[in-house]
Amino acid sequence: MSETNLTSKELLSQLLQAHYAEAIAAKAEGKPVVWSTSIAPQELLEAMDLTVVYPENHAAAIGARKDAPQFISNAESEGYSVDICSYARVNMGYANLQFSEAENIPMPDLIYCCSNICCTVIKWYENIAKKFNIPLIMLDAPFNPSYEVAEDNVIFVEGQLKDAIAKLEDFTGRKMDYDRLKEVMEISNETATWWKKATDLAVNVPSPLNGFDMFNYMATIVCLRGRKTGTQLFKLWYEELKEKADGSIGPWKDSAEEKYRIIWDGIACWPYLGPTYKILKKNGVNMVTSTYPESWTILYEPGDLRDMARAYDSIYTQRNIDYAADRLLNLATTFQIDGVLFHSNRSCKGMDFKQFEIQRRLTRELGIPSVIFDGDQTDPNIFSEAQYETRVQALVEMMAENKKKKGEKI
Amino acid sequence: MNQVELLINQFLEEARNPKQTVTNVMVSTGKKAFGCFPIYVPEEIIYAAGVLPVGMWGGQTQGSKVNAYIQSFCCSIMRANMEQGMAGTYDFLDGIIIPTFCDTMKAILANWPVAVPHVKVIPFVYPQNRTSEYSAQFLISQFRNFQSNLENLLSKKISEADIENSFLTYEKYRVAMREFVELVNYYPKTLNPKIRHMIIKASNFNDKAVYTKRLRHLMESIKEMPQERVHGPKVVITGLMAEPEQFLDLFTENGYTFVADDLAHESRQFRTRARSEGTAIEKMAYRIIDLRGCPFFYEENKSRGTLLKTLAKKYNADAVVVCMFKFCDPEEFDYPVYKNELDKDGINILYLEIEQQMDSVAQLRTRIQSFSEMIMNEIN
Amino acid sequence: MFLGIDIGSSSSKAVILDMEGNILAQEVVNIGTGTKGVELVLEQIFKATNLQMPAFKYTIVTGYGRMTYIGANMQITEITCHAKGVSYLYPKARSIIDIGGQDAKVIRLNVSGQVENFQMNEKCAAGTGRFFEVMARVLNCGINELSNLAGQGNDSVPISSVCTVFAESEVISQLATGASRQAVVKGINQSVAKRIVGLCNRTGLVPDVIMTGGVALNHNMVKALEEEIGMPIIIPESPQTIGALGAAVLAREKYINNLKNKTNY
Repeated sequence: MSETNLTSKELLSQLLQAHYAEAIAAKAEGKPVVWSTSIAPQELLEAMDLTVVYPENHAAAIGARKDAPQFISNAESEGYSVDICSYARVNMGYANLQFSEAENIPMPDLIYCCSNICCTVIKWYENIAKKFNIPLIMLDAPFNPSYEVAEDNVIFVEGQLKDAIAKLEDFTGRKMDYDRLKEVMEISNETATWWKKATDLAVNVPSPLNGFDMFNYMATIVCLRGRKTGTQLFKLWYEELKEKADGSIGPWKDSAEEKYRIIWDGIACWPYLGPTYKILKKNGVNMVTSTYPESWTILYEPGDLRDMARAYDSIYTQRNIDYAADRLLNLATTFQIDGVLFHSNRSCKGMDFKQFEIQRRLTRELGIPSVIFDGDQTDPNIFSEAQYETRVQALVEMMAENKKKKGEKI
Repeated sequence: MNQVELLINQFLEEARNPKQTVTNVMVSTGKKAFGCFPIYVPEEIIYAAGVLPVGMWGGQTQGSKVNAYIQSFCCSIMRANMEQGMAGTYDFLDGIIIPTFCDTMKAILANWPVAVPHVKVIPFVYPQNRTSEYSAQFLISQFRNFQSNLENLLSKKISEADIENSFLTYEKYRVAMREFVELVNYYPKTLNPKIRHMIIKASNFNDKAVYTKRLRHLMESIKEMPQERVHGPKVVITGLMAEPEQFLDLFTENGYTFVADDLAHESRQFRTRARSEGTAIEKMAYRIIDLRGCPFFYEENKSRGTLLKTLAKKYNADAVVVCMFKFCDPEEFDYPVYKNELDKDGINILYLEIEQQMDSVAQLRTRIQSFSEMIMNEIN
Repeated sequence: MFLGIDIGSSSSKAVILDMEGNILAQEVVNIGTGTKGVELVLEQIFKATNLQMPAFKYTIVTGYGRMTYIGANMQITEITCHAKGVSYLYPKARSIIDIGGQDAKVIRLNVSGQVENFQMNEKCAAGTGRFFEVMARVLNCGINELSNLAGQGNDSVPISSVCTVFAESEVISQLATGASRQAVVKGINQSVAKRIVGLCNRTGLVPDVIMTGGVALNHNMVKALEEEIGMPIIIPESPQTIGALGAAVLAREKYINNLKNKTNY
């Protein structure tokens, strides 16, 4: 199947539209729909031919199209605190209102929850399962306090994968086809590989990749990892970026110069993609990478359930501060970063409460300047454009100073 | 001062002066001390090592050292623990255990070795998923890992017999605690909300065997008094913790009786009965597996609403008081779910948002008093 | 005579009822607890009615400053007093929105006018009188002019920050980039309305809805709130003294009850 006349952007748009449309169609046909967390072992679901949608993707879309407030308001009037993750508030509100101008997903028949991204999803999905009175498959991927992934954790996750298979067989009334599962694992590894190759091209100076584009492609690494269309998409994206990289073409269509390369730590402020992007671009600042690409680069030996378990328990959010700091510093060096912009995301305590220490190590060990700004992934009330602009300017000034010191052209 | 007052005052003073109390106990028992972060830790293993487990549930500390590590929107107990750690309050401990029940605790565990490097941490990872046959296996292996880490830290071996004995001590303690909270219903004046809490809190700083004896002695002495009645709302209190003292005084001021509690700091520590079969370690694991109605663990078919309704009915409560600890995500997620169930049954709810360190309780006083006025109006 | 005193955070109020329960006088002084506010308001009301303390058979004090006031027979919270005051004036009232100097409350009443449920926001300035004070200062106008200013046009600029401090800088940047004061004030009203609506949703509003407290005097604010909640809001003639009125009504009830109990012996 070749889509050579489509750009990866066009293909991305098509695939995402199809993803949502298929889900709605499936529900209408009486097929069961699964709600899953974003870095879950989707391989099992794909192998069982289940229709899956990802509430985090959906909440981000709602946030980006500025429709979050009505859902947040709805959740808060039920008693949900403003303190909790805004993805959860949007989704809880959506579970009540069930319609958005931005994008729609069908209501779930099964919940598939992997706790590797945070503890919040456990409470969020526990509530959704109770609300709809539907089964929940929990894949508890425990935290690794030591630098390396703990073997006990891996064994536990593997055990739960086996449980999950049994539960899925029960739910669908079908047996797991282990050949198909291996095939899906192979596809997933391939897709993840192309994702990594594509995002790694940002290593080039100038980077052919505009980081905010990476934010857009994230939705598909979440929902199409186990599908050939996913592999296609990321391979195509890689090829486009490679061509640009070979031609030393920078990130922006208008050929503006990439003056500064930064890491954006944390997720995007979806309701403010426009302003956050524009203020960076205006200053010639390109977000070149973040810790997110690595979290979906889930590679393991296909057919080996234990290795898959290890891969899912190894992601950034389940590692200790030394590992997390090393990863960021590593990225900063590999991608030749001039500065780091830390998004202190009100919804994400897990990420936020490590930022101060990581920032200190960045300064101390690499002398790279950084700033922190307050924002939120989907709640538009927690962001001040004035504060963001001031902080970005401050970062630019620091990066300029640094370049001057190094004798580089600004 | 009569016997009962004397005994109560002792507990009161201990709860008010944790460090002094622990120091005294260390001297009188010759034991070293080991700190225990919330919510649940394998205290029995620590006790089996001949060391005093000390509860670390925050404190009346408001500092700024912790701001170097954590943004402001963090649970006040965790902030207080970090602040106290950085101020040297815990230096006398031989080590501490930090479990990971929520994202904030994971981050605290991550930051502690950097912020408080001289107070050694042994991490503990609980399974959130307790429904798998692998869950108990995982938990038991975590207990054993903790045991060997502790043995290395203290340079001493913990025998199976030590653990069995320790477990028995803790079981006796739990039985006594369950009787105590029950007793409050018959002596709501003497065991008013503040006194009730402080007596329970004192157990965090005492040797459990000694504490249990003293508690029993107090209960016997109290039972010799005529039963009491208080004219005010009878409530079930739920949440992470009910502190500080001035906050609890507001309830006493308005004639409230805490007929039962569903607090992580109190009854959730001792309400789950151990299974009758198995080794001590197995029983400890299954107590965790069997725990219901606590948001700090994943629970299929969340049963907290049912638990609260049952408690309210059993003790003829007029209402449920929710102590919502600010910034506590697990509790914040649970609230709308059990609120809905209580609303459906027409059970009154008083929702109070609290932090451990409160400069002024005047605003809470209004809420608590208004609620009492509302309830007593309904009754009359 | 019966006296009701409401010692709030930014104002002190007093109401006097006669033996039959008719309102004899109502007074407001714009300084609150911890100041001479209560003495001043009592001075004013005694002057207006030619009465002194001994004339009162029963006195109830309410409000933030009730705990430290000596001279009342009893202290009752403003929740109960507002409920009493509102249902005295409006027997069909089922919901009360009270926005005071430093807090905001929503109270729901049952058919008999008793408190059924209440929610408060007392930790955050946003959505209270204090918010308007801060904004009035930025807009360089008196707090009483805010209502007229908003009424001068239909434009509004969104003020989205939840925090008063952030909102203050938002307002300043809006003015700096050329937004009119009128449009900004409308935006402020909408922002406050959204906050209050959150509180209302948590409580559940049932008509008739009555608004009390100083902010009720800001007609454009009330309009903005009506739009958000989708229900008409009734404003009493003297919205600030409702708490004190309720206290006076309760004082009379208590007195009559005590008499009844005495004679039943």
